Amino acid sequence: MTVAIDPYAETRASGRFLAALNPLAKIAAPLPAILVLVLVRDLGTPLAFLALSYLLLLLGAPLTRGLALLLTVAIPVAVVALGLGMSLWTDPQLVDDTAPLVSLGAWTWYSGAVWMGLATGLRLGAIVSLALLAGVATTGPDLVRSLVQQLRVPYRIGYTALAAFRFVPRFGHELDVIRQAHRVRGSHGGRGPFAAVARWWGYVVPLLAGAIRHAERVALAMDSRAFGAHPDRTERHLVPWRARDTVFAVLFWLVSAGILIVCSPF
Amino acid sequence: MTSAAADAASADAATGDRHPLIRAVDVAITHEGSTTPTPAGATFDLVRGEVTLLLGPSGSGKSTLALALNGLIPQAIPAEITGSVRVAGQDAATTPVARLSADVAMVFQDPDAQLVTGTLFDEVAFGPENLRLPVDVVLARTEDALRRVGLWERRSHNPDRLSGGGRQRLAIACALAMGSPLLVLDEPTANLDPAGIEEVYATLTDVVAAGDRAILLIEHNLDAAVGFTDRVVVLGHDGRTVADGSVDDVLRARADELHAMGVWLPVSALAALRLREAGWALDPLPLTPAELHAALEAAPAPLAVAEHPPAAQHPQAAEHPPVAPHPPGVRRPVVLEARGLTASRGRSEILHGIDLAVHAGEFVAIVGANGAGKTTLLQALAGVIPVPRGRVRIGGPDSGVDPARTDLRALSRRIGFVFQNPEHQFIAHTVFDELAHGLRLQRLPETEVRERAEAVLERFGLADKADVHPFLLSGGQKRRLSVGTALVAGAPILALDEPTFGQDRARAEELLALLQQLNADGTTILVVTHDMQLVTEHAHRTILVGEGRIVADAATADVFADEAQVRQAGLRLPPLRTALHGLSRHPELATIARVADLPGRVEPHPAQHGARA
Repeated sequence: MTVAIDPYAETRASGRFLAALNPLAKIAAPLPAILVLVLVRDLGTPLAFLALSYLLLLLGAPLTRGLALLLTVAIPVAVVALGLGMSLWTDPQLVDDTAPLVSLGAWTWYSGAVWMGLATGLRLGAIVSLALLAGVATTGPDLVRSLVQQLRVPYRIGYTALAAFRFVPRFGHELDVIRQAHRVRGSHGGRGPFAAVARWWGYVVPLLAGAIRHAERVALAMDSRAFGAHPDRTERHLVPWRARDTVFAVLFWLVSAGILIVCSPF
Repeated sequence: MTSAAADAASADAATGDRHPLIRAVDVAITHEGSTTPTPAGATFDLVRGEVTLLLGPSGSGKSTLALALNGLIPQAIPAEITGSVRVAGQDAATTPVARLSADVAMVFQDPDAQLVTGTLFDEVAFGPENLRLPVDVVLARTEDALRRVGLWERRSHNPDRLSGGGRQRLAIACALAMGSPLLVLDEPTANLDPAGIEEVYATLTDVVAAGDRAILLIEHNLDAAVGFTDRVVVLGHDGRTVADGSVDDVLRARADELHAMGVWLPVSALAALRLREAGWALDPLPLTPAELHAALEAAPAPLAVAEHPPAAQHPQAAEHPPVAPHPPGVRRPVVLEARGLTASRGRSEILHGIDLAVHAGEFVAIVGANGAGKTTLLQALAGVIPVPRGRVRIGGPDSGVDPARTDLRALSRRIGFVFQNPEHQFIAHTVFDELAHGLRLQRLPETEVRERAEAVLERFGLADKADVHPFLLSGGQKRRLSVGTALVAGAPILALDEPTFGQDRARAEELLALLQQLNADGTTILVVTHDMQLVTEHAHRTILVGEGRIVADAATADVFADEAQVRQAGLRLPPLRTALHGLSRHPELATIARVADLPGRVEPHPAQHGARA
């Protein structure tokens, strides 16, 4: 069983500043930088954004064990592994003017290929860590509340989506049972990708049948509790857009622009 | 507006201050795709502060009627409805469900399907928030509701961390927080284990005691419910109201008639009816275990019984083989054996050194609290999960096989396994292919496959459904098909994991009748279950599992004779044992666990004791 992510869990040490920001501010601020990172090819820009997001995460996010492992182990390892892997794939003709590192017969591994690979790895690492800014100190309900309160998303959609989170672990468990039941019936169907597709297709029907029935029941239960009775509903927790949210987003955009001017990747 | 509705409206005006919360007049509901309405003519009033039990034989439309009380039928579930349901004067068919929710709150059967948010507090506040109540009212109602069900201390927890009983208490709190004067509960304990049922009833008793809510209860677990019921409304076979009155007038005075109709009665009442036939003077009819206990302590044994010593009673019971316990003297061959069996899930060992032997033709129940390892035990015995070599022997010491060394195809000829939800194990596109699959795996010639599959279709009453997709069968047919697929390869042993969990009582009984029949024909049956009355009525032998070990393994009556042990394992005595336990005036009755073992005439019953037919 994998560790289930609890979208409702309150983050502890919520006194840190990222947790005090509006979820939308935490999404809006890094969004331009993420889009730019998809396009850049150099080494400096992703490195700068990686540094920026690490700085903010370390200063502002509740430093749980999971986050610490992510920042110190998972992201660096992924960047290096991805970088080296990509460098082997790089077309040698693009980089044959750089210093060769290894030669095996007709094939040569150029240092330029390593740089290109690392740039790709760093880009992905920077994108992930920028996305973490939005993710680590935000709870599911708060995101829904701010979507409803600031972006005027209809609450029926927002809260239904939240209820749907509850389905995920349930379906995971149900899938396990279905696989076990099919195995007992001897419906292994052989090896190879086609048999695997057929096998998974066999799981879909019972899983969907169960899902639809469950969803119908949840819908009846929600209707019986006046869900959707009025155009809006009482909000006990206001997730306001404060001055600090504007300041955070604007500052983040300015710093992003500054990094782009200094690194001038285009 | 129909004329009946108009009458009801004028009647409302006439009664003035005694305005009923619900006035149902001649309600008939026809589901889409059905031709006959169920219910077909339900008429009753529900008034403030009363607890009403809605009874009726299976198929009389009790749950359908419940869904019509807050407008879910016809507004969320399309159906044709005639007659009228008026909720505090408003027409339930046309007033939006959300508006009616302020008058009628619902608690459904599946606690998981009623959760929306991430904490108990948010969950209870969800309803009042939807009603646009001011924040301070939301907070006050939420606190009050959580305190009333005893969950206030756990308000910040995720509902996932609650037990089944706890989640159902939470659903009750959610209904209370709606502030509606009427609570409708539809089989609220059907998905719970015995400890959970006890928990929910303790909570309901408190809610009733406060006296501020009317309750409409649909329930099969009547021994617990009848104690706080004021009124009983009974729907007949045709879905019309046949009785409406106080517990004394309906349940006590007309119990025989209701029983004959196929209406569920409390087990204590059934036992009392049987004892009456044997000459016991039990008047008024006891309805709860406590009442039966007291009545028996007060009543002298009838002469006929006094003349025969209790030992003479047992051969009489043994004349009815399907429900008779195994004659203890007869040694039958061992068909399933475990020695030092261990099993693990992930890194943790779930079963520790299990020793047991199952004999041919036995009906064995495996019971235990949640997480005790009973499902793991059944799966390990049946080879569904991997087990160490040399620990399990299926099919006897000489000719048997070790599931750890046997492929599934060979194993399916030895033991059939039925999962909790029959849909999970369907793999083919027609009912026929579903059955044929197991036979084709045996590489049998196609003519024999056809012959044997058709024989099973015939036997399980599915002959006219051969070309239907398994998912389009009715619930009962799906269950029969799942048992058929487990047995089609010729397995003499059938293992079932919680086959009655989450089903209504009628369907559970239908399955038990089938199992009883198979057992009478020689199939050895192992079943994991939470349903204690099922266990005592059907199983020869009970294995009580606790923390991955066998706590007790004996004849069912002997296991349930030790109340302390049963309670310690997280289970409860079934109602009849509770009633008869420690009976000092009639010690010959004190160890009886099944209604069928009581002195009295054996009367096969169409619905409730179809198992005996």
